[in-house]
Amino acid sequence: MSILYVLIPLGLVLLAAAVAAFFWAVGSGQFDDMDTPAWRVVMDDDRTPPARKQEDDDER
Amino acid sequence: MAESRACFHCGLPVPAGLDLSARIDGEDRPMCCHGCKAVAELIGASGFDAYYRFRDAPPGDAPAPPPGDDADWRGFDDPETLPLFAATRTDGGREAVLHVEGLYCSACSWLLENVLRRLPGVTEITVNTASSRLHVVWQPEETRFSAILGTIERLGYRPHPQSLTEAYSPRHQERRQALKRLLVAGVGMMQVMMFAVALYAGAFQGIDPEMRRFLVWVSALVTTPVVFYSGRPFFQSAWRGLICGRPGMDLPVSIAVGGAYAASLYAAVSGHGEVYFDSATMFVFFLSLGRFLEMSARHGATERSAAIGQLLPDTVRRIADERSDGEEIIAVARLRAGDRFALRPGERVPADARILRGRASLDESLITGESEPVSRGPGDEVTAGSINLDGALTLSAERVGQDTMLAAISRLLERAQAERPAVAVLADRVASWFVVGVLVLAASTGAVWWWIEPGAAFPAALAVLVVTCPCALSLATPAALAAANTALADRGILITRSRALQGLAEFDRIVFDKTGTLTRGRPELERIVPLAEGADAERCLAIAARLESGSEHALARAFPRRGDTPADLRPVPGRGIEGSVDGVLYRIGSAEFVGAAARAAAEPLETGPASTLVFLGDGERRVLAAFELRDSLRDDAAAVVATLREAGIATAIASGDRSRTVDDIAGRLGIDDARGDLGPEDKLAWVRELQAAGEKVALVGDGINDAPVLAGADVSAAMGAGTTLAQSSADAVLLGDSLAPLLTAVELSRRTRRIIRQNISWAIGYNVLAVPLAASGMLAPWMAAIGMSASSLLVVLNALRLRRRGDAARPGREPAGAPAAPAALEASP
Repeated sequence: MSILYVLIPLGLVLLAAAVAAFFWAVGSGQFDDMDTPAWRVVMDDDRTPPARKQEDDDER
Repeated sequence: MAESRACFHCGLPVPAGLDLSARIDGEDRPMCCHGCKAVAELIGASGFDAYYRFRDAPPGDAPAPPPGDDADWRGFDDPETLPLFAATRTDGGREAVLHVEGLYCSACSWLLENVLRRLPGVTEITVNTASSRLHVVWQPEETRFSAILGTIERLGYRPHPQSLTEAYSPRHQERRQALKRLLVAGVGMMQVMMFAVALYAGAFQGIDPEMRRFLVWVSALVTTPVVFYSGRPFFQSAWRGLICGRPGMDLPVSIAVGGAYAASLYAAVSGHGEVYFDSATMFVFFLSLGRFLEMSARHGATERSAAIGQLLPDTVRRIADERSDGEEIIAVARLRAGDRFALRPGERVPADARILRGRASLDESLITGESEPVSRGPGDEVTAGSINLDGALTLSAERVGQDTMLAAISRLLERAQAERPAVAVLADRVASWFVVGVLVLAASTGAVWWWIEPGAAFPAALAVLVVTCPCALSLATPAALAAANTALADRGILITRSRALQGLAEFDRIVFDKTGTLTRGRPELERIVPLAEGADAERCLAIAARLESGSEHALARAFPRRGDTPADLRPVPGRGIEGSVDGVLYRIGSAEFVGAAARAAAEPLETGPASTLVFLGDGERRVLAAFELRDSLRDDAAAVVATLREAGIATAIASGDRSRTVDDIAGRLGIDDARGDLGPEDKLAWVRELQAAGEKVALVGDGINDAPVLAGADVSAAMGAGTTLAQSSADAVLLGDSLAPLLTAVELSRRTRRIIRQNISWAIGYNVLAVPLAASGMLAPWMAAIGMSASSLLVVLNALRLRRRGDAARPGREPAGAPAAPAALEASP
């Protein structure tokens, strides 16, 4: 059972790291909008090849 | 009129005879106007057809604005103005936050992000659909702010640059802070529970004392941030309550959490006695969760409603040089009293001003609620927020910004909001007594045990505190409210204040505004009466449509948009339009404008009181036809009123419109009490009068002039299509263009009230049962904590039943303007 003396503190360290990561994520605004990102994955941006960009710019 | 095609872009019906289409996804799609066509083609040509597949709601009911021009936004490039709206970054880039009007779903944000990202120099762009905000970073050397704003406008949205002070609101900070606190509490609770299970198991099966001490200390380590970081708001609020002499629910929470933590810490140090770290963390987590859910619901709603500035234009054409009349476009924030500025048809008045030159009809419905435009000429004052419908004006600004009438209305509104209903005050007082009772009970339990057996005094007192601790009681209401808010949002009703649910469950009189609430808020062509010999209704309509196609007047929208606009079109402000169709000169407008014969012809025409007559005549003052226009009732208005009456609720109308019109509408809908000619103060006074007579008044409205009375009623709802400010002062917003969700809201509120009552009775029953056990020392604090958690869980699960969709049909989702419905309405007495 003495392995717990190592594992529990180790768990706490990982926990602290996870909390720190979450704080960073919240601070950088990743939790401000909970609706849009869920949809982003469904929308295929790759329908617009980079070549189109040139064309459009020329038209302008 | 029975044309069933809907515009592929905006969802509005395509006017009969109009043949416009745009190629989307390889198919020609019908378009209702040139504005929609331009937007759809821009979207299609940019390869963003996917927008149409992913959007979950068509854009709002308003017709798409004409494609904008960057030049309209040049004012924001001005070196003096730009720093007010855009911050400079260390790398030389500029960043700004825009509020984007018309941003409804994720597909919109996807479209905006992708189109804007292609502009040269735009380096970062994020769109938040929930709050309709767009954050953009760009390099000022490569692109201009006006180009970004113009592009957004061309996509069919309306950008409102936010000044730097309003862009970074405290709400964001509050939400982030609460999220962090919640996570710390949640993660901490899980850890401590894990250790607690080990400790409990150890208590039964035997545990190595060394290991026990270790687990206790680890629990203490994890609990510390939970108590002091996550639990801080409770301590702060308890302290504030104490200072004000009004102990709130947070006081026993703080004492229980603080006491459990201190006692456990003492036990850990001294090495004997029970530890209650698990109870403390669990407690903090559940309470934080309840508050977080409530806060999210509150913020979600208020973020959408916007500041008063958004009702005003962002730019104004200031006349810089008195002599040459040279115009420059500047941001409204830079307009000063005394400045002269020009106003074109279709634009909003940016400040309270006096007309120097020109005459025009102005739509002042924002301030007065009067749906009919008024004519204003030189020397007249116009108020900020009015829309210039048809004439070019030169004005001199009299009052700007905070001094305008619009700002004054907004202050009136704040004051009305500050008055809390009596029920809320009562609830606070009851809570105070409850708290005092809990404290006295816990203290006397401790005192009694001190006499009998000092060692058992603290555990027993703590058990009483934890058991009675209003965990289930305090979760009972917020959990049900949060569940109800979500359920309502799914059904197209947005709750902006928690009092809405209570109010909607128990009002006994409902007062409707007329224009835009019971009626659609826009005139429709009722009938065509040919007046000259040989005049054909269809032919007259075709001529009228071509004449009106060039007008932005509210009444013009009643005519179908088709045919080309005559080249020599000449609007006569406040009276009508003149122009040639197929080489013949025609006039359309008021009887006075068209000719004396028209006035004579108007006499025998029997019209409904809510109608307006428009005449068509030719150049020789001959009257060809009369058009009767009417602001028609919503399809579901009669059904909603009838259902409410059946439920025993008194109905009434309060309107700024003429009494005759209002009485007619009331008669047709079977509404008991109708009052017309009411200004904003009169409406508020009437509601106060009804309240003084002991009635609970619900109000449904939409205009900004309703805002004070929306806030003053016991409960209020605003139509989603209404003005933004009305939404922010209303307790609930009915999204979509239909009244039916109101019934859903009332029904769900009643269910919510029932569930809250069940929850509270459960919580009290549980306390009545558990308190004697705890006081008699038969419950260890950990048992109390488990009992309390189980009871909380039950309460939450009970509340979540509200989110289950009922089998009831949802009439609110019927497409607006279904052809059969108006006929059924007319038939009703």
